[in-house]
Amino acid sequence: MAKDREPLVGVTGSNGYLGSALVAALRAEGLDVVEYRRVAPDVIGNAEVRQLDLGGPMDARAFEGVTCLVHAAWDLRETDPRRAWERNVEGSKRLLESALDAGVERVIFVSSMSAYFGTKQDYGLMKLSVERAVLESNQVVVRPGLVYGAQSGGMASTLAKLARLPVIPVFSGAHQFTLHVDDFLAAMMTLVQSDEVPSSVIGLAHEPATSFKEIMLALAPGYGGGTKTIAVPWHPLLGLLRVAERLRFPLPVRSDSLLGLVRPASGVPGRDVAHHLGLSFRPFSVAAE
Amino acid sequence: MRVLIVGAGPAAAAVAIALSKSSDIEVQVIDVGGRLEDENDAARLRMSKSGPSDWANGDLRTVSQTAVASKRHRLPEKRVFGSDFPFRDFGQLEGVSVEGDLNSHVVSGAYGGFSNTWGAQTMVFSDATFDDWPFPRSALEQDYRAILNTIPYSAEEDDLAEYFPLWGPADALPPLGEGPDRILRAYERNRIRVRRNGVLVGKARLAMRGAECVSCGLCMTGCPYSLVYSASHTFDDLVRSGRVDYVGGYVAQTLGEQEGRPFVAARSLNSGRVETFHADKVFVACGALGTTRLVAQSLGMWSRRIHMSESQQFLVPLLSLRGMKDLTQDGSFTLNQFNIVLPFDEAGHDLVQIHGYPYSKAMDDALPSLLQHQVLKGVASALLKRLTVGLGYLPSWWSPGFDVLLTRPESEGALAGMTLTPSAAGEELTVPMLRAVVKRLVMSAPYLGVVPVVPQVTLSAPTKSYHFGGSFPHAREPKEDLESDVLGRVRPWRDIHLVDASVFPTVPATTFTLSIMANAHRIARCVIEESRG
Repeated sequence: MAKDREPLVGVTGSNGYLGSALVAALRAEGLDVVEYRRVAPDVIGNAEVRQLDLGGPMDARAFEGVTCLVHAAWDLRETDPRRAWERNVEGSKRLLESALDAGVERVIFVSSMSAYFGTKQDYGLMKLSVERAVLESNQVVVRPGLVYGAQSGGMASTLAKLARLPVIPVFSGAHQFTLHVDDFLAAMMTLVQSDEVPSSVIGLAHEPATSFKEIMLALAPGYGGGTKTIAVPWHPLLGLLRVAERLRFPLPVRSDSLLGLVRPASGVPGRDVAHHLGLSFRPFSVAAE
Repeated sequence: MRVLIVGAGPAAAAVAIALSKSSDIEVQVIDVGGRLEDENDAARLRMSKSGPSDWANGDLRTVSQTAVASKRHRLPEKRVFGSDFPFRDFGQLEGVSVEGDLNSHVVSGAYGGFSNTWGAQTMVFSDATFDDWPFPRSALEQDYRAILNTIPYSAEEDDLAEYFPLWGPADALPPLGEGPDRILRAYERNRIRVRRNGVLVGKARLAMRGAECVSCGLCMTGCPYSLVYSASHTFDDLVRSGRVDYVGGYVAQTLGEQEGRPFVAARSLNSGRVETFHADKVFVACGALGTTRLVAQSLGMWSRRIHMSESQQFLVPLLSLRGMKDLTQDGSFTLNQFNIVLPFDEAGHDLVQIHGYPYSKAMDDALPSLLQHQVLKGVASALLKRLTVGLGYLPSWWSPGFDVLLTRPESEGALAGMTLTPSAAGEELTVPMLRAVVKRLVMSAPYLGVVPVVPQVTLSAPTKSYHFGGSFPHAREPKEDLESDVLGRVRPWRDIHLVDASVFPTVPATTFTLSIMANAHRIARCVIEESRG
């Protein structure tokens, strides 16, 4: 990035699991950070938190002074696919255009390992669409794997809850590429601070993948000692979840999330770029957490 | 510096656009220069001066004639203002022969070339297309932008921008026809379901002045108001402003370099004499096959098979449950209205593209013969009301392409014989990929509201797409005499530059005239920059 401007890092979704951890890490590193939240605690007087709603109009002034923007915001509350697309995909594309118009030099879009060519998952398809726009603008995409760590959030947190069941459901052949949260933060730190990062998709995850069963047993109380698992055929379960969603039943896991678990990506993209930048990702283990 | 451009199609126009910015460059264009017949041109001119409601019936009949399809189920060759002049032999097709079902009207002698009759689709190649080229798309970006800032352009930001950026200020498209509009609205409603099947849909992007369109429905037979871009418009402007000296009535025979200076020998269509034109730089833009013959004849490449890469065309009729109210082409523009894009990889390298056309009178003759029977006229009409014609393209690496074989000219001053023959290269992938395309369309049918009529899906014969090139593909370091450097130079020449699709390393499924123009502009721009040190 250009050296003639004071670095200022913007982070959208800064009250989310990854966003908040990233903001804390960036500040601990001594970097100036602007947080973007749907509802800012003090829009006018607070210089560090700016208001930004993916579903609303974008104002290029929101990005004033920002040199690098990490776009981690994603609104998972919207379940209607059409409205979710308008809010997250169209909103992210507007945000991207607005940020670049405002002179932001680097945009890093936090996508997902669920976004891969051929995915049938709504979430993955939406992330892929934003990825394309980011790449067309010569910016950077990262695809974190299943993030776990001392204080798991997101999908790992949901899986940890499921792992407390007396019998844990597992799916034949299901696996995930995992990412320790500290490795995520270290990788993002590098991507934010490096002078040159090629416009590309960079998978942030350890390869090879870990089986779903192994992950669930590791997340279970007592690391799965004595925990029973049951192999569940995922097709009927997916159908049941979809029916339950139609009936508006509150569910611990969405059908779309299940699809992401049982139909994961086949590999981690951009390993050459990650290697070139010195990014490394530890094998899956929760023993030390 | 004195520059000679051979040809007056889109590639030539792009070179002229690039050169016209430098007042110290003297530009001469030699061209076959075939023109629309006076009678047809007069009718077009009269119509251009009034609104459609004031048009004389005779004029309308004259300019809207269509040709009859040579084969059932096939679209007929297009006509422009009732004329075949873009395809006619003014001398440039001398010695051209074809084998099998190939098309012999492969070199245009018209002023403006095939852009007199093109579909006006204007789309940047995907970034990943350039994985096979010796330079990245970023090397062409300023040239794409320069062209899009010069020619008329109607386009809108939609999902297709994920692979194809707009890169220029654009008019909105005129109102779409009923069928295409319904398909696009269905896509908006069911976007994720459609995309789950690997299908993207977006509006057409056209080289037309959309804001001025009066929706008279005559686009496919020539816009009376000249709102659809033709390279002839560029040359009209540049000749009028004195930036270009245009000399029509010449068919280029050979070219070369003598004592370090390039020349072109061309036969006058009036006198039959061969005259020699000299310049400091020559840009060859005769269209992919015209250029291939000119270069191969000049270098004596007799009895060698030269492979042409082609983005093979296929036709896929799409039927909807609901039909349009009236079977008419009036009230809408009739060019390509929407595009279906089918990516087969993540980066957007392996893409298939289908252009969706609303009803136009040219489709009547393409119906199966049974439906053309008087008794079934009602059925035919009901079908046509529900029909959208998809003209699809496969990338050249999934298409067989065709070969060119040159033989020595029969007499001095004649053009070399040029025989086009089918090729087997890549053919094994064509049908399986077409099947994969159709499968995706079938899977998406419930969500788009149109069903592909699978038995009527047909592959066009090689050469029919007019999207061919690659006889002298760009290479970073050309190793063979059938390669050109990144400035379109074939050994041993230093100041002769090929600038049309003959230098394309590949022909993707994306509509390609804009990219021909951008690449020609790039070559001309770089040549000027190089000559100025």
